[in-house]
Amino acid sequence: MPIDITVTIGGTAGQGIQTVGDLLAGACHRSGLYLMVVNDFESRIRGGHSFMQIRISDQPVAAPYHKVHLLVALNQETYDRHRAAMDTSGVILLDQEEAASEKSALAVPFTRLAKDAGGKIMANTVAAGACLGLLGAPESIIKEVLKERFGEKEAVFENNLNAARKGYDAVKDETVDWRIDWPDEESKGRLLSGSRALALGALAADCRLAAFYPMSPSTGIMINLAEFVGKAPLVVEQAEDEIAAVNMVVGAAFAGVRAMTATSGGGFSLMTEGLGLAAITETPIVIINAQRPGPATGLPTRTAQGDLQFVIHASQDEFPRFVIAPQSINQAFETVIRAFHLAEKYQVPVIILVDQYFNDSLFIAPEKLKVPEQIDRFLTTDADMAAPPAYKRFALSESGASPRALPCRDKALVTVTANEHGEDGHISEAVADRNNMVNKRMAKTKNMRNEMQPPDPYFGDSETLLVGWGSADGAIREAVDRLRNENFDVGGLVFSDLWPFPEATVYEALSKCKRFFTVELNSSSQLGWLIREQTGLKFAGAIVKYDGRPFLPNEVAVQAQKMMGGRDDRR
Amino acid sequence: MTDVKAYDCDYENKWCPGCGNFGILNAMKKALADQEIPPDRVLIVSGIGQAGKTPHFLKCNYFHGLHGRAVPVATGAKLANHDLNILVNMGDGDCYGEGGNHLLAAIRRNIDITLLVHNNMVYGLTKGQASPTSAHGFVTKAQPQGVAGEALNPLALAISQGAGFVARGYNGKMEHLSRLIREGMRHKGLSLIDILQVCVSFNHVNTAGFYNERVYELDESEYPVDDWHRAMDTARIWGDRIPIGIFYKKETESYTDRLAGLKDGPLVNRQFDPARVAALISDS
Ligand SMILES: Cc1ncc(C[n+]2csc(CCOP(=O)(O)OP(=O)(O)O)c2C)c(N)n1
Repeated sequence: MPIDITVTIGGTAGQGIQTVGDLLAGACHRSGLYLMVVNDFESRIRGGHSFMQIRISDQPVAAPYHKVHLLVALNQETYDRHRAAMDTSGVILLDQEEAASEKSALAVPFTRLAKDAGGKIMANTVAAGACLGLLGAPESIIKEVLKERFGEKEAVFENNLNAARKGYDAVKDETVDWRIDWPDEESKGRLLSGSRALALGALAADCRLAAFYPMSPSTGIMINLAEFVGKAPLVVEQAEDEIAAVNMVVGAAFAGVRAMTATSGGGFSLMTEGLGLAAITETPIVIINAQRPGPATGLPTRTAQGDLQFVIHASQDEFPRFVIAPQSINQAFETVIRAFHLAEKYQVPVIILVDQYFNDSLFIAPEKLKVPEQIDRFLTTDADMAAPPAYKRFALSESGASPRALPCRDKALVTVTANEHGEDGHISEAVADRNNMVNKRMAKTKNMRNEMQPPDPYFGDSETLLVGWGSADGAIREAVDRLRNENFDVGGLVFSDLWPFPEATVYEALSKCKRFFTVELNSSSQLGWLIREQTGLKFAGAIVKYDGRPFLPNEVAVQAQKMMGGRDDRR
Repeated sequence: MTDVKAYDCDYENKWCPGCGNFGILNAMKKALADQEIPPDRVLIVSGIGQAGKTPHFLKCNYFHGLHGRAVPVATGAKLANHDLNILVNMGDGDCYGEGGNHLLAAIRRNIDITLLVHNNMVYGLTKGQASPTSAHGFVTKAQPQGVAGEALNPLALAISQGAGFVARGYNGKMEHLSRLIREGMRHKGLSLIDILQVCVSFNHVNTAGFYNERVYELDESEYPVDDWHRAMDTARIWGDRIPIGIFYKKETESYTDRLAGLKDGPLVNRQFDPARVAALISDS
C-alpha cells in the first residue's frame, strides 16, 4: 500500500513542538522515506498556537496534505483546532493529564513517563517515542536519531533514550491503519528549509557580502548564511535599515564582490530607490524577496504570492531586471547561483521571489547541491583596454552592457552616477545622452529574455491547464495528479522565470490548451493578468487564496473541478 | 610630491560662482596630493545635492549615489575592499537629514571612511529650504515664518556617540581644511569633518563675512584632543566665536579590523575555492 501519512504536532510556542517534529522527521529521513515539514506559527515568541506538519510518503511530496492521520496535541487547543481535519483512520495522541473523551484519542502519560525517565522536561521525547511506535518504526531508529541530536556520550542522551523508549513501549499494543512498513534505505536527499537552500546557494555562488535588516520570513536566509562567516570569504552585515542594506550591497558590488540582500515586502518597499540605483549605475545585485501577506505589516509569519506585479514594476521609470521564483528546493539553490551569474552578465538587479511557506518548510533535495567549478565575473581590466585613461564605464554597446572595470584596481577610472549620465559617467542632461542611456539599458532586455526558461509543463498538452508560479508548484502538480486519476484532462504549467516575461514560449505553451486557470496566493490573479498583458491570452478562471496559508492540493483540485463544470469534461 | 593639478578634470563645474564648495574641492585635492594618493587610488562616494556633485569635479573613481545614502554605499565598498581610500561628500540635508540613521550607524561601526559634510545650513540644490542645521528662525520660502525647530549640532551628536575623529573646517580656510582632511584620512576609523560652507545663493545669514569675523582655530598646542568633556563643551560653542579644528580624536579598532570575515584580507582579493565551498556545503 502506498505510504502517505500526515502527522501534526501542535501546542503553544515554546512548548517543544520542534523537538517532537525534529525527532520524527529525522527518523523518517534517515530511513529513506520521503517527507516534507511545514511550520505554522504566530507572530509571537511565547504562547499562541503553533504546529508542525510532517507529511511522510514513499513518493516525493511537495505540498501539505489536507487530512491528519496522527495528531500530537501538546495542549487542549491543538486538539480542538485540528480535530475536524482528522482522517477517518486518524489517531489523536495526547498527554493523559489533558482530558479527552474522543474515542480516537489515545492518552499516553507523557509527563509521568518523562519523570520516570529523569525529568518532566523530556515529555516531548516521550511523545516522539510514542509517534514512532504508532508509525511502526523499528526501535533501533530511536537510538540513531537521539544520538544525532544529543551525541552519544552525554547523560542527556541516555535519559532521552530512556524517555523515548517509554513512549514507544506505551503504544506497543495499539494498532493503526497506517502503520508503515519501514524501509531501511539511504536517505532520499538532504532535508533542507527553503531558507537554508537559498543561503547555501549564495555560498556556492561566491556571494561575499550579504547585508540585511531582519524581517520575517527572510531572516532565516541570513541566519543560515552567517554560519559560514570565518569559513568562507564572507561578511554578513546587519544594516541599520533596509535602505542601508540595499545601498551597502550596491557599494560592495561596485567595489567588486558579489553581494545580495534578503527581505520581505515591507523591506523591499524601502529598497525600491536602491533597486533603481543598481539599475541606473548598472551594478549587479541580487535581492531575495520572501513574500508574506500585506499591505504594510500584514501577516508577518504567513505566506503569500502578492508581490509579483510589485517587484516587476518597483522603482520609478523603466529599467530591465530579472524576476525568478524557484519552484523547488534544488531549484532555489540553483536560482541563487544563476541570479548572480545573470546579474553580472547583464549588469542588472535580479530579484528572487520566494515566500514564507517555502522558506520555513523543509523539503527533500533529491539532487546533489553542486558548486560551480568556476565563476565568470564579466569584468574588464586595463590589460583589455587600448587606452585605460579613456575608459568609459557606460560606453555604448549593442547588447547594452558595457565593459565593467572595478574602482581602484587599475589606471582606468570607474565613474558612475545615479543621475542620468553620458558614457563617461558624468551627469548629463543632453537629449542624446538621455536617449542613448535609456536605449542602452533597455536594449539588454532582448538578450535577457533569451535567458528565460519557459514555464514548466506537467502534462502540458492537456485540455485544461492549471497555471501558477514559484512555490505553488507542488500543490499544482498534485492537484493535476488527483484530477487525472479521476480522468480529467488536466495538466499544469508552472513558472519560475517571470521577468523579462518569456512571452513567446508562454504563448506557445498556452495556445494549445482549451482553457487555463491560474492558481495563485493573491486575490487578483497577478500572473493571470500578466499573461493577458504579455500574450493577449485570457485565463478562464482563477483559483486564488489569500488567507496566509499555503495551497493544499486537494483544495486546488476541488476548485478546478468545480470550474471545469464537473463530469462533462472527463476524457 | 604630487601636483594638485593631477586631480584636475575637464568636466564643466556646476556650482554657483563664489560657492564655498570650491574651497572644499581645493582642500581635497591638496590633501590627496600631500599624501601622494594618485587619482586611481581614490574612491569618492557621494550623495545627492550640490555637495554630492563634488567627485565629478576632480579626477578620481567615484560613485555618486542617492540622496542620503552615500554612507551605506561607502560602507559596502569598504567591506568589499578594505584597502580602499574612501572619501564621502555629502550636504547637511543629505547627511544629517535624509541619511541621519546611517550616520549613527557609521559611528557605531567606526567604519574607516572620511566623511566630509558640506554644511551650508540650507538645501542648496532644491533652492533654499531649511536643513537640519538651519538656525531657529531662519527664513526661507518654505519656512516664511522662520524655522520653528532648533538646529542639530552634528559635532556634539558625533562626540556624544563616541565617534573617534570629529572636526570642523571652514571653506574659507583652505590650508587648514586640507590638513583636517589629511588627518581624517590617516585616522583609522570613521572621521567626520563638518565643513562650514558658504552658500552665496540661499544662505544670506551665514556668509563669508559672518564666518570670517567669528571663526578661530583651536590651538593644537593647548587643546587636549582626547578630552571628551572638553570636546563636548567646545562643540557647543557657537555665536560670536566659532571654533574650527579637530575637536575630538581617539583611535579604536576600525570596523573592518573587527570582522572575522575579513581576517584573511580584502574580500575582493580572495580566491573562489569551489572544492572548499563544496566541502562547507556538504559538511553543513
Ligand atoms: C529621495 C530624495 N528626496 C529628495 C530629493 C531632492 N533633493 C535633492 S538635493 C536635496 C537637498 C540638498 O541639500 P543638501 O543635502 O544640504 O545639499 P546641498 O545641495 O546644499 O549641497 C533634496 C531634498 C532627492 N533627490 N531624493
